[in-house]
Amino acid sequence: MNARKLLVVAATAALLAATGLAVARSTWDTGPAAADRVAAGLRCPSCEGETVADSRSPVAAAMREVIAEQVAAGRTPDQVRDWFVQRYGAEVLADPPSRGIGVLLWVLPGAVLLLAVALAVRTMRHPNEMPSSRPALAHRPERAPGGTKRAHAWRTWDMVAIGVIGMVAAVALMAARVGNTNPPSSTGPTSAPADPVAQQLNIAQSLEAQGQYAAAAGVYRAVAEARPDPQVRLRLAVTLIRAGQPTEAAAIAREVLAGRPTDADAVLVLGLAERATRSPAADETLRRFLRLAPDHPAAAEIRRLLPPGG
Amino acid sequence: MTSRHRLLWSILAGAVLAAGAFPLAAGLRAEPTDPTRSPAAGPVTRVLDGPAPPLTGRTMGGGDFDLAALRGQIVLVNVWASWCEPCRQELPLLAETQRQWTGQGVRLVGLDVRDNEHDAHQLLAETGATDLTVVPDSRGTIAVSWGVRGVPETFIVDRAGRIRVGVRGPVTATWLRQQLTRLVDS
Repeated sequence: MNARKLLVVAATAALLAATGLAVARSTWDTGPAAADRVAAGLRCPSCEGETVADSRSPVAAAMREVIAEQVAAGRTPDQVRDWFVQRYGAEVLADPPSRGIGVLLWVLPGAVLLLAVALAVRTMRHPNEMPSSRPALAHRPERAPGGTKRAHAWRTWDMVAIGVIGMVAAVALMAARVGNTNPPSSTGPTSAPADPVAQQLNIAQSLEAQGQYAAAAGVYRAVAEARPDPQVRLRLAVTLIRAGQPTEAAAIAREVLAGRPTDADAVLVLGLAERATRSPAADETLRRFLRLAPDHPAAAEIRRLLPPGG
Repeated sequence: MTSRHRLLWSILAGAVLAAGAFPLAAGLRAEPTDPTRSPAAGPVTRVLDGPAPPLTGRTMGGGDFDLAALRGQIVLVNVWASWCEPCRQELPLLAETQRQWTGQGVRLVGLDVRDNEHDAHQLLAETGATDLTVVPDSRGTIAVSWGVRGVPETFIVDRAGRIRVGVRGPVTATWLRQQLTRLVDS
């Protein structure tokens, strides 16, 4: 009994300590490291899928300056984030406030944890109410009313325990479902670090970041062959445009479009490739992209590219 | 194993799984819920209503500029840079707008973002826009305080110092005429 008790107490203490640590970290988060974390938690408003920390765009660079300035002035990360939300909307947060399924993902584990602790405490407080085993119960169905009551109580406990496990399983499944909708290029914590394809994608991205587009395109091509994912092929096409091979990029975008005619990203890449080859069709393709996805993060930039009034 | 053991282990397993679900929830990124939603991609003309953020500094001509001192006038704020091609095309129109509208209580100010001053001067000279009031924002921090996402971007501030409209991307002569007429007449 003591060992079990110790285990439950240890598990509870560990969870409380972890919570305390997280709260402390968010409260006393200051200095350059805090500025970096804030930058990593904000989306670059003029880029696609990049954070303020990653992007080389002038706006992201200016945002980093503002973050550093405000952190140095003693503002907390939360205050700095609020300042950006006031100007750029909640969308500027890489992890915006949870809604719907997101809220459930946070609330359910909390509820489950509370229930589990409550159950553990009650189990330890009233050990004598529990019969020693089910077979014993089965042999004594005609026991006094008190015994039947205890048996009922025990079944209730069992049901609750099963319910707890079921709820946690449901949360895990929901989390997996939401996590799976991440784009394959995302390097979120859900992607397995040992996955060779993920590693290749990381290599390609770092080559791209260094401006070695031809080399990056080579790696993306290998990944696209191993995993014929439209997103990877579009990434390859974008890199080819940057590497000065827009004709091949346009061909890849057209292949992707053949299977997914309303894929806005594919239309965007095709339009950019056509523009790079000075094709007269480019403006119309880019307008098609704007019609398909007027709210796309790249839409504002594309509108700037297109001649006004067109 | 007795039932009590089973119950205890079930509870422990539940607690451990719940603890595991926290980082899982934390690890989920925001994109899946709404990956494309962004006000950046809203209508080209944005109707706004809020106090204009501060805009002060030394102008390229060497004077002092303070937007707050221009209450009672309509101020068109254009965010630009010499490294931005559409800005290059837009500057002659802005210079012409300033010439046309100054007599009607309209002021123009350019906010030159993260630019090389020499290049900026050269562009103003090339586009005949040397008489524009331009405040250099070498670090881009003023532009960020205005919520700027890219260049060019234009805002119109009314006589009470409130931003009334904004445009991401280049403006046209028609747009400028419509918006300024509306505000001058109001």
